[in-house]
Amino acid sequence: MQLVRPSSVEEAVAALRGGAVALGGGTDLVPLLRDRIVEAETLVELHAAVPRGVRRCTPTSTSPSPSSARFWIGAGTPLAVLEAEPEIPTTLREACRLAASPQLRAMGTIGGNLLQATRCWYWRLKFPCWLHGGETCDAKEGQHREHAIFGNERCASAHPSDPAAALLALGARIRTDRRDLPLAELYRLPTDDDRSMTTLEPGELILELELPAAESSIYVKAMDRQRWAFALVGVAAARVGGETRIALAGVAPVPWLVSSPEELEQATPLPGTAYKLEIARALVQRALAQL
Amino acid sequence: MSTIPTRTPRRTPSRTPTRRLEPGRVGDPATRHDGVPKVTGEFAYSSDLHAAGMLWGKTVRSPHAHARVVEIDTSEARRLPGVHAVLTHEDVPGQKNYGLEFADQPVLASDRVRYFGEAVALVAAEEPEQARRAAAAVRVVYEPLEPVTEMERALEQEPLHPDRPTMSHGYRDDPRPNVVRTMVIRHGDPEAEGEVSVAGVYEIGIQDQAFLGPESGLAVPDGEGGVDVYVATQWLHVDRDQVAPCLGLPPEMVRIHLSGVGGAFGGREDLSMQIHGALLALRTGRPVKIVYNRQESFVGHIHRHPARIWCEHRATRAGKLVNVRIRILLDGGAYASSSTAVTSNAASFALGPYAVENALIESTCVYTNNPPCGAMRGFGAVQTCFAGEAQLDKLATKLGIDPVELRLLNALAPGDRLPTGQQIEGSLPVAEVIRCAAALPLPQAESLPREAIRLPGGAGNTTRGEGVQRGIGFAVGFKNICYSEGFDDSTAARVILRADGSAEINCAAAEVGQGVSDVILQVARTELGTDDVVLAPPETASVASAGSASASRMTWMAAGAVQLACRAALEERKRAGGDEVDVERIYRHARTTPLDPETGQITGDRAHVAFAVAAMRVVVEVDVELGLTRVVWIGTAQDVGKAVNPLAVAGQIEGGTAQGLGLALMEEIQTRDGLITNASFTDYLIPTTLDMPPVESVLVEDPEPGAPYGAKGVGEPPTVVSTAAIVSALRDATGRELARVPVRPDDIVGL
Ligand SMILES: Cc1cc2nc3c(=O)[nH]c(=O)nc-3n(C[C@H](O)[C@H](O)[C@H](O)COP(=O)(O)OP(=O)(O)OC[C@H]3O[C@@H](n4cnc5c(N)ncnc54)[C@H](O)[C@@H]3O)c2cc1C
Ligand code: SF4
Repeated sequence: MQLVRPSSVEEAVAALRGGAVALGGGTDLVPLLRDRIVEAETLVELHAAVPRGVRRCTPTSTSPSPSSARFWIGAGTPLAVLEAEPEIPTTLREACRLAASPQLRAMGTIGGNLLQATRCWYWRLKFPCWLHGGETCDAKEGQHREHAIFGNERCASAHPSDPAAALLALGARIRTDRRDLPLAELYRLPTDDDRSMTTLEPGELILELELPAAESSIYVKAMDRQRWAFALVGVAAARVGGETRIALAGVAPVPWLVSSPEELEQATPLPGTAYKLEIARALVQRALAQL
Repeated sequence: MSTIPTRTPRRTPSRTPTRRLEPGRVGDPATRHDGVPKVTGEFAYSSDLHAAGMLWGKTVRSPHAHARVVEIDTSEARRLPGVHAVLTHEDVPGQKNYGLEFADQPVLASDRVRYFGEAVALVAAEEPEQARRAAAAVRVVYEPLEPVTEMERALEQEPLHPDRPTMSHGYRDDPRPNVVRTMVIRHGDPEAEGEVSVAGVYEIGIQDQAFLGPESGLAVPDGEGGVDVYVATQWLHVDRDQVAPCLGLPPEMVRIHLSGVGGAFGGREDLSMQIHGALLALRTGRPVKIVYNRQESFVGHIHRHPARIWCEHRATRAGKLVNVRIRILLDGGAYASSSTAVTSNAASFALGPYAVENALIESTCVYTNNPPCGAMRGFGAVQTCFAGEAQLDKLATKLGIDPVELRLLNALAPGDRLPTGQQIEGSLPVAEVIRCAAALPLPQAESLPREAIRLPGGAGNTTRGEGVQRGIGFAVGFKNICYSEGFDDSTAARVILRADGSAEINCAAAEVGQGVSDVILQVARTELGTDDVVLAPPETASVASAGSASASRMTWMAAGAVQLACRAALEERKRAGGDEVDVERIYRHARTTPLDPETGQITGDRAHVAFAVAAMRVVVEVDVELGLTRVVWIGTAQDVGKAVNPLAVAGQIEGGTAQGLGLALMEEIQTRDGLITNASFTDYLIPTTLDMPPVESVLVEDPEPGAPYGAKGVGEPPTVVSTAAIVSALRDATGRELARVPVRPDDIVGL
């Protein structure tokens, strides 16, 4: 296996042509490589190529929000930097603080976090499940208490990212080496024809994020222990420009926006995930009450 | 009788005075000698071993829970760079099977694999990555078979061990397929009726020992056909006695040396890499190191038996237990390990420390293709304590009697008989322990608002008080100390007492983190009246067996042996006119005999040596809308006989409690058709410091007559009782039955 270390976006994009895999902090990718779930001849280390850091910025022309203050975040910024950033909206700071462990947050980047693979253990154990190109979802037939209550018709996995929910609630946008899009459009529910969970093209790099300041925002996370666990249900809520938005982690194959608490009633829980709906209902109420 | 209160403040290091490292004597709160190196990272664990010219071994494991092995082709693996050896069952020169109590497990599978991760072949190569690649290149053709995964169905399915290796060892002959052991204890009139009765079915998931130091060791050929194995283990001599026959060597040509143990909890009673490393070392003539990775560790050792337990408790209206009927089903997994003893222990302590005139207890362990189960801290008593104590709470509710009063009313006392007919001869301060625990003042309800970490849901910031209910629970745990049922073992200690008054102690007792090496030193200093004592590294060649660091027996047995040897050495030296002496003594506990296979009654004076009891009071808060919990406080009293080192005892109580908390709230090995699906610390959660409440403990000292200094073992009772006590508190907070552990949010808010 080869490791290349480009020092500019152009070099990185060039290096990624032909099936090379981008390496951020490696906290998700390295275990997947080790378990031969991701195969790569060449790894392209993004450290010196993808920007990192946080600054206040002026809205770009494509920003839909009327809110004036905005933040620019380099996709290579480690979560540990974001959790200590007093200026950014609380929901994002809290989501970063509550993700993973200090060691992982020191290495793990926000770009990598948005693209982390599912934690579904059938998938990680290479069961020939639907997401691996097979016919059925093994989780639905077996243990699946960590799994989804929305968007679970084909694959019932639950998206593990806390920051993604926070960024969705904030209405963040991302810029890649080839386009600018709302974060919501980064994700897609997999279909029989195309089982990918993002709209990224092969070799496409996330470079930056842009997000508005929020009048008020919050992130709360139900876990199986007091800390250092994935979200059973994570709730991000943000009021931006007078509008309130709610997004959930751990409830669907992708980070999940709900337009109102009532929309939770459209959930399609599995037998083993019905409790997540109960948690989501209570947690959304509590989060909104604190906005 | 005396009591020692100990209190461990939570996260307030400034309040804990720094203790100087002082060479303690018996009864002193001595600081452990390996404590500082462990904390500073200087302690060498078995995974840190290194030898010049060392090769790396790797185990090829079965990806199936049950399959026929059709063909093993090692030719490609042999051709890979750096590879020195690729071994299969054909290369095992001696006995092909091994096992802690029954040799039912192949060293390397030949025609059949019976669990996910079973060892099939071995490779040794220059570099770990070369070994890994070679292991991947061993081509094994399997014909998958239907796995036996359901305990109850196993009793009707095709036998996994048609030769029934555990039968005809004096156990009840059970003709059903896949029975490892069936035990029946008939006590009094098993049909006796009470005025009221409560019933329940309880379930315990598979718990893992989850020790942090994975299985690892180094095998070094001695150039003369023998081998030295440096390994993290719990019982050096029994390892040797299993390894040597498989290598086709006499025992003295195999020397086992204890190397740094990163936790054990029963999981290192069975062999891991010992035979494999030795085979590779002897074949290649080079030292061979094997270190399991985390996933391998999860599949590479036995677990706590999952169980299903049916109970009916009959009592008088006044609350006196009349008859207890219990049926226990344990899943032993693919091989016997210590399942037969766990089966019996589960039955023997199923009633808890209560005097009951009549009982019918049936305990059955089955073979399945699930992960193999064996010894884990608590050894069968954890499962039945969870069920039995839930029953007592149910009975208390039904009768409107205070749960503590109900337990006191039925408390066992010295002179009483156990359901096996054995009379309690030694100390057993059940009522005293219950009273001490119940008397610990509960912490005041904390006011709101408070920090998220002091609320259910913890760091996740899920409540500011909404949905939070407080609950209080109580439970009593009961277990034996030392080996039992005729499996009597002994501990040897050798003392070299020099003319200058200094001494060297040899004892093969395994320091697994429990602090036995400090116990040995404390005893030697006390007996010899000097601080100038060193403990030689434990190994099999220099001293006879110490028996296992299990069954809460090592302090008792090692203290007994070292005391005996020290006293003998002092006398010898007197006789020798002050010259150096070297004496070895073997210490034995009171003899036990098997239980009758048909009635479960004792066949001599005793089947168990001694007993210990612990009571625990727990305060929890539960966010009943989210199902999230917080254990707020734990107060416990434990019958310790005599605290050889009160500080170490408090440590055992906290650690043991944490392990029980893990089973109560989060720890469970998940399987799918026998495959472990959560073999990592990302998916198998264990409690962290944030999950552990402060533990206030009272040590009840009622010396055990037969034990050195009156000391009982202390390692297991906290684990036995804490799961039951925590779930009792959760029931109080939620009003739910919670008949299965671990209890997770889904069990609290689910339908
Ligand atoms: C034990 C554990 C617990 C965890 N708990 C949590 C948790 O509670 N909450 C949570 O949110 N997360 C959790 N995580 C996930 C963790 O936060 C992510 O692994 C981390 O943020 C990923 O960042 P990385 O830079 O290391 O990504 P990498 O591992 O380097 O990459 C991940 C993926 O993103 C791709 N990639 C990375 N950067 C870019 C880029 N700029 N453009 C395009 N593609 C890119 C890579 O090719 C790869 O496919 C946990 C992880 C572990 C291992
Ligand atoms: S949830 Fe998705 S990833 Fe998991 S088994 Fe089902 S299809 Fe596969």
